[in-house]
Amino acid sequence: MPVTLILRKIEYTVEGTITVKDALKQLGLSPESHLVVFDGKLLNENDVLRNGQVAKLVAVISGG
Amino acid sequence: MSNYVCSKCRQPAVFRMRHHRLAFCQPHYLEWFIAQTARVIEKYHMFSPEDKILLAVSGGKDSLALWDVLWRLGYSVDGLYINLGIESSEGQYSNESEQYANDFARQNNLALRVINVQQSYGQTIPQFASHNQRGREKPCGVCGLVKRHIMNQIARDFGYNVLTTAHNLDDEAAVLMGNMITWQVDLLQRQSPILPAEDGFVRKAKPFCRFYERETAAYSLLRGIEYEEEECPYSEGSKQLVYKDILNKLEETAPGIKMNYYASFLNTRANGYFVSEEKPGGQADQELHPCPVCGQPTTSNGACAFCRLVKAS
Repeated sequence: MPVTLILRKIEYTVEGTITVKDALKQLGLSPESHLVVFDGKLLNENDVLRNGQVAKLVAVISGG
Repeated sequence: MSNYVCSKCRQPAVFRMRHHRLAFCQPHYLEWFIAQTARVIEKYHMFSPEDKILLAVSGGKDSLALWDVLWRLGYSVDGLYINLGIESSEGQYSNESEQYANDFARQNNLALRVINVQQSYGQTIPQFASHNQRGREKPCGVCGLVKRHIMNQIARDFGYNVLTTAHNLDDEAAVLMGNMITWQVDLLQRQSPILPAEDGFVRKAKPFCRFYERETAAYSLLRGIEYEEEECPYSEGSKQLVYKDILNKLEETAPGIKMNYYASFLNTRANGYFVSEEKPGGQADQELHPCPVCGQPTTSNGACAFCRLVKAS
């Protein structure tokens, strides 16, 4: 079971074991505009995501 | 791969800022963030604990983070939420955002003023925009006009002498890019962390103008602030988001370039560029008069743009 990342109710999956930085890169998401939260904790770009984990992606860019 | 440690205590870091060459654990990030805000307030002489401050609150991460920081710093600050009557495919966007603002105020024993545009002026923002030239394609122009009017009106009516907004560096850099592409020199002149009070406009301050947007989001997450994560449905495809995306692509390859872009602009502006020869000191280009309907300052000879909008609707 891969890593699941949820961004505004949309689920994305990547194969673990993978760093936050590489997971974002695989999904084509900028680390400048997305943060990753797992188990209620903010992860930095070198933290590792493992298969089966479900993390939340937080889009930090807003504006109109 | 080695992980990052806190620049202050050497414990594991939860948040890293490449452009500052800093990483922090949770308690030291929260501490650093508050201290940086205090430094910006002092650097630009924004306000003091004696001032009566009104903060424009949207229910999003930036404004709730700013409210949190300001009360922790001991400032007297009330919130203003303007319910715009916007709905999204997910539901009642404006009502949900108001709920986040209300919950934060109640949890921290803070005062929140709420203005509902439809209840106060008869129509929602999308309704106003639908029959107005400036809002025919998107209501953002009308929305900005209405919010600016209400913020200044409430500040004047209730004796607030400072109006703060939670614009962050990404917001400011995106606006700067937009104004530079078309060389809007008058707008470049007025883009500042602080605008002094003049002719019926209260002083405006942006204490978060030196923070990246991911830094304000990290503060809210690490502080445990519940905020509206959904975007305004009308922001999709906006120019500001395009500019932010471009700037973030640059930032990925050159950490600090956004900060440098904005800070260099402020220095250039402080050195006297973007000031018209006819109006030294950056004074308003056009004379202001009180609107005969609402009393707020306007460059129009008759009613201000807001009163014209309400009358025509």
